[in-house]
Amino acid sequence: MNFLIPLIPALPLAGFVITGLLGRQMGHDSHRLAVGAVVASWLVAMVVVTGALTHSLGFPVAGGFGVTLWNWIPATGFQADMGFYVDTLTACLLIVVTTIGMLVHVYSIGYMAHDDGKWRFFAYLNLFMFSMLILVLADNLLLVFAGWELVGLSSYLLIGFWYPRRSAAEAAKKAFLVNRVGDMGFALGIMAVWTQLGTLNLQKVFGAFGGVPHEWQIAIALLIFCGAVGKSAQFPLHVWLPDAMEGPTPVSALIHAATMVNAGVYLVARCNPIFGAAPEVMTVVAAIGIFTAILAASIAFTQTDIKRVLAYSTLSQLGYMFASLGVGAWTAAIFHLMSHGFFKGLLFLGSGSVIHAVDGEQDMRKMGGLAKKIPITYVTMLIGSVAIAGVPPLAGFFSKDEILGGAFKNGFLWVWAIGFAVAGMTAFYMFRLMGMTFWGESRVDPEKEHHIHESPPTMTRPLILLAIPAVFLGMLIGFPPESGLLHQWLAPVFEHTIAASGRTEAAYTFFGIDGALAILTTGLVAAAIVLAWRLFGVNMPALGLRAEPRPDQVREISARPALAALYRGSSNKWWFDDLNNLLFVVWGGKLAAAAFWFDRTVIDGTVNGIGVVTTGAGTALRRVQTGRVQNYALGIAFGLIAMAIGYILIAVR
Amino acid sequence: MSNSLDSYLVLSGLLFAIGTFGFLARRNAISMLMSIELMLNAVNLTILAFGAFIAPLKTHAAVIALIVIAVAAAEATVGLAIIIAIYRNKKTPLVDEYDSMKD
Repeated sequence: MNFLIPLIPALPLAGFVITGLLGRQMGHDSHRLAVGAVVASWLVAMVVVTGALTHSLGFPVAGGFGVTLWNWIPATGFQADMGFYVDTLTACLLIVVTTIGMLVHVYSIGYMAHDDGKWRFFAYLNLFMFSMLILVLADNLLLVFAGWELVGLSSYLLIGFWYPRRSAAEAAKKAFLVNRVGDMGFALGIMAVWTQLGTLNLQKVFGAFGGVPHEWQIAIALLIFCGAVGKSAQFPLHVWLPDAMEGPTPVSALIHAATMVNAGVYLVARCNPIFGAAPEVMTVVAAIGIFTAILAASIAFTQTDIKRVLAYSTLSQLGYMFASLGVGAWTAAIFHLMSHGFFKGLLFLGSGSVIHAVDGEQDMRKMGGLAKKIPITYVTMLIGSVAIAGVPPLAGFFSKDEILGGAFKNGFLWVWAIGFAVAGMTAFYMFRLMGMTFWGESRVDPEKEHHIHESPPTMTRPLILLAIPAVFLGMLIGFPPESGLLHQWLAPVFEHTIAASGRTEAAYTFFGIDGALAILTTGLVAAAIVLAWRLFGVNMPALGLRAEPRPDQVREISARPALAALYRGSSNKWWFDDLNNLLFVVWGGKLAAAAFWFDRTVIDGTVNGIGVVTTGAGTALRRVQTGRVQNYALGIAFGLIAMAIGYILIAVR
Repeated sequence: MSNSLDSYLVLSGLLFAIGTFGFLARRNAISMLMSIELMLNAVNLTILAFGAFIAPLKTHAAVIALIVIAVAAAEATVGLAIIIAIYRNKKTPLVDEYDSMKD
């Protein structure tokens, strides 16, 4: 294990370095090494995960396995190690990151086949894998932060991958800048931890955190949550994620749906002793999470870009996870993280396959009726949609049900109520997407119509492979509810925090409150799906379902006075981009202009003024130096006379 | 007024003024050197006059005058040597053309 754990991030790093340096020369084969490195990393990770989850292969019976490679920063009084720590929580993340990472790499072979910058793309993807694995494996906060910033960098590089396109370059910049806001908080949080405890090692911090003054506990938890809000795109820093869809679709799937945006959730879950010590902050986490969930879901109703619908759906689901963390349903959050990683990765890759089929078109109003033409994509995306909508017994049902149940049973009725509404909204907008894309009449450009084609096997096989966990993951690790495999794995990570919070986990009662909640949610989801079918159409002959889309009725409903305002708000994303534009671009720009003026006139004026005076004085005094001996002698003579007169005056007095 | 300290001082003052004027007004380096000698001699005359009229200063004045003569001789030697050296380079005795250190 001492060797295998560092190997997991080392392989993609090697892939990045070699592909980055030599990729241009490798030409068409530039993906081989990068994909190979990630597949090898996946194999190693699976061995490590097996060890960690079964406490075999050298893993201790309790706790995790730590490896310290070297002393990274050996300054006196400040120590940071280059060290990894693998426990069951890390293992869960490793499963998601390496599996989806590997499948996305394979998928990208087909998706990026005709792109000249392919080698660059694969180098960046490897860099991302390395960064994300560092983030997940790190055993101290500083190394987490390093990984945190590296995933931010690779996200920036990949969003702006098609940098000649202005919108892509700007989206990359936006993502980077908005993330910096959150990272600032995280960095301050790390500094606060250091000043309070004098160590950054996670296990030592958790062990000693109870001794920190309570106001500092609150401050540290809030600051760390700031970082999570930025990286996981929660309100009010959610604006970057939808724009990040400018990147290639595999990137959207890997980074902006399945892995990187989960980093915030992982961080909060990993720091559960910190958040557990500050229950006030937990409420903030729950509030921000559930607010983001309903905000993003409401925007997803009216978006027409297929990837943006999925992006807002991602925001909404991440909001769910934070709500779950906030109410203290830690395991449910990680459960939803895993299941969401798989089905949202699947949906994004599926949308990429759709976009590939219709030659780059992303507007759902110009799709429709694609089900017959791209059957594999259609079936896998349908599975993904059913999974995210929360239809039993697919993955999303179990994880969402646990979150809602956790909120309800831990006394956060308002979180449950909003989450319940969001569950219905999720089902509605996902089947709106399915209806507009795959069912009904074709609205594709006639020019593109004839060469719609199913994607190559490198793209469809990852879809099929991702559809399997989307269906079975919930039953496999989440059944029976609240005592399934995942709960057994993660119980040691969260048990202290849960015990300290004073909450007793009520047993899951199928013929009781839990079963009632599950049936209620499922009923709402079913109603929402039927509503979406009636408005946007459905065509599933196998199930005997057929309905034509009714765009007139959609238009009529959205024009009703009561709903028109909501519709306008939703389609304008509740004007958050405009608000940010006003606050930071217009007003901030004016402030910057004022600062610029001050700098130019006052600061530079002072400095330049000193220079001008000095040179001016020099030029004036230069005339004195004539180079004529007599002039100097005259000066001496006058000086002598002046001295003599002065002497006489003083002597006479 | 003759044979009084004042007449000697007036004479030496006149000599010093003539020397100063010559030093400032002449362009020829040799003439300037001669003017310097004149000033030195004016000073010497002052010193000897004080020595002649004030008894306690008699011996001191003689010694200082001898030292001034020695210094003047040395100064003239060095000055002439410098002037000759510059003259060989510049081919002119006029000091206002010695301006190569101006800029």
